[in-house]
Amino acid sequence: MGIDIGSTASKCVIVRDAEGVKEIADKALIPYGAGTSGPARVIEEALAGRGFRKEDMACILATGYGRNSIEMADFEMSELSCHAFGAHFLFPGARTVIDIGGQDVKVLRVGESGVLETFVMNEKCAAGTGRFLEVMARVLEVKLEDLAALSAQSTERVDISSTCTVFAESEVISQLAQNKNRRDIINGIHRSVAGRVSGLARRLGVAEDVVMTGGVARNEGVRLALQNELKTEIKTSPLAQYAGALGAALLAFRKLGG
Amino acid sequence: MSTIQELLSQFDAAAANPKAQLEKHTAAGKKAIGCFPYYVPEELVRAAGMVPFGVWGAEGTINAAKKYFAPFYCTIAQMSLELALNGKLDKLSGVIMPSLCDTLRPLTQNFRSAVPQLPFIFLAHPQNRHAPWGVEYTKSQYGRVKKKLEDIAGAPITDSALKDAIKVYNESRAARRKFVTLAGKHPEAVSPVQRSAVLKSAYFMDKAEHTALLADLNAQLEALPDAAWKGPKVLLSGILADSRNLLQILADHNMAVAADDVAHQSRAIRADVPDAADPMTALALQFAAQDHDVLLYDPELLKRPEYVVNLARESGAEGVIVLMMQFCDPEELEYPSLKQALDKAGIPSVLIGYDQQMKDFGQARTQIQAFADVLNARK
Repeated sequence: MGIDIGSTASKCVIVRDAEGVKEIADKALIPYGAGTSGPARVIEEALAGRGFRKEDMACILATGYGRNSIEMADFEMSELSCHAFGAHFLFPGARTVIDIGGQDVKVLRVGESGVLETFVMNEKCAAGTGRFLEVMARVLEVKLEDLAALSAQSTERVDISSTCTVFAESEVISQLAQNKNRRDIINGIHRSVAGRVSGLARRLGVAEDVVMTGGVARNEGVRLALQNELKTEIKTSPLAQYAGALGAALLAFRKLGG
Repeated sequence: MSTIQELLSQFDAAAANPKAQLEKHTAAGKKAIGCFPYYVPEELVRAAGMVPFGVWGAEGTINAAKKYFAPFYCTIAQMSLELALNGKLDKLSGVIMPSLCDTLRPLTQNFRSAVPQLPFIFLAHPQNRHAPWGVEYTKSQYGRVKKKLEDIAGAPITDSALKDAIKVYNESRAARRKFVTLAGKHPEAVSPVQRSAVLKSAYFMDKAEHTALLADLNAQLEALPDAAWKGPKVLLSGILADSRNLLQILADHNMAVAADDVAHQSRAIRADVPDAADPMTALALQFAAQDHDVLLYDPELLKRPEYVVNLARESGAEGVIVLMMQFCDPEELEYPSLKQALDKAGIPSVLIGYDQQMKDFGQARTQIQAFADVLNARK
């Protein structure tokens, strides 16, 4: 079992060995992260799906911001190593992994076997993270999950700063006061995130295949803006948000020698 | 005889409680002079019969000093002023403040204005320090410092006293350099936090006392059998590496500090004062010999990064942790050259932002743990 306790969501993946092939037995996601009821609930939900008990798990590995708070875990590892493994499982050709989570942005270089080779991480600043998008969605009175669809309907370019979440929020309010269209503002917000993240990615160097993981990978608008900025295809998967927990479960197998 | 751990506890106690050390000096009737970063010729203070006392900020929260600085300002400067404004430096009899970077220069002005009651000694080192006229300039600046220290002490600094002080300091630097090597060889005996405490306590303790204690520790470390260390060994680079929280994270992940390129640690003790008939000339020649520091002008841009690469190789470090002091222009400007040199040499590195107001070390923990994974995977 791999448990990924992020800052805004808890994820859990159970992997089993089916005649030498690793496959996902069950998974769960609760949109509450470290310090909430999310971790306990996500474990309960992942086990309940197929009627598993904790005792059925051969090894439990915790990762993510809240990894140290999971008492039932046998091991804990940084989410960077876990995302590298999870992304490699989903896309074996992955060499660059862009993981945008609730409060962190990480760009990872992954080896052919899925091992983390090097990485860069954002500084203590919310710009470019999931938190940035949450703040903007609230100001725009739009649901987080609707951002991508609205952005796709943009017709006019509106630029939003990528320097600071607080200042960018003021910019958005100013654009709204000027009666700018929400769709165009959202498109500008996505380009703002892409600008910030691409700078970090270029610092590491972008090697193909490029894969996006983390909760923000669910936002197609950010993925397209990032793809446009980096001038390369960026792959993602419906399991992108589970990549950390998936990698943790795969690394739990390794701990058992599998 | 004290054991290694008992000796390390003594250094740790001194490093953790500078206030007690300062009060000990003043209770003994000694005047103490605050020595700010970087390269203060502390020998002059000792020769004047006073105690040099290092002031490199402190971990805490900045409130009163905010009146004097923009938020995006080095926290060593801000916290040093905060300490003074909160009365924590009241027992000092004066301060010596160099101006080797663009952050320290305004600090010298703001400090004078904000803390007028504390006798202030400004020190302008020359960046062109090698040429004879550079050495002469350093000597003239040190002469100014000497005169002001004599005024505070109420007595002249004799050549004989200065030569004695130079001897004490050269012995202290040699003992600390030896300790850095031994701590790198024996991480099983000296943790990253303890290593930092030994080096940091030298800024607060009487140097001769510190050296005597350290000589005992070094002798015992030298007598230890070679030990195999399974975890990764790293080199630390940056301005400061004295945060207990950060260093404990290294220990938590079985990481050892093989060596350092830290301004507060090894960069400060690389050059000894050479023999010279005139001790003031000798002190100026020591500054001329300081090298491989982002704060010092070097016409050969890539010489310092190569030095750090060689230091990593020679010390057996498998990776480099760059502790980037937030808003430190010299460190940030140099970083791309350093990163390029490390990449070229195939030495993994990680950049971790640090400032003295840091309360949450979660992000640093994630980075250090992932870096340990990277280094372990290469073994």
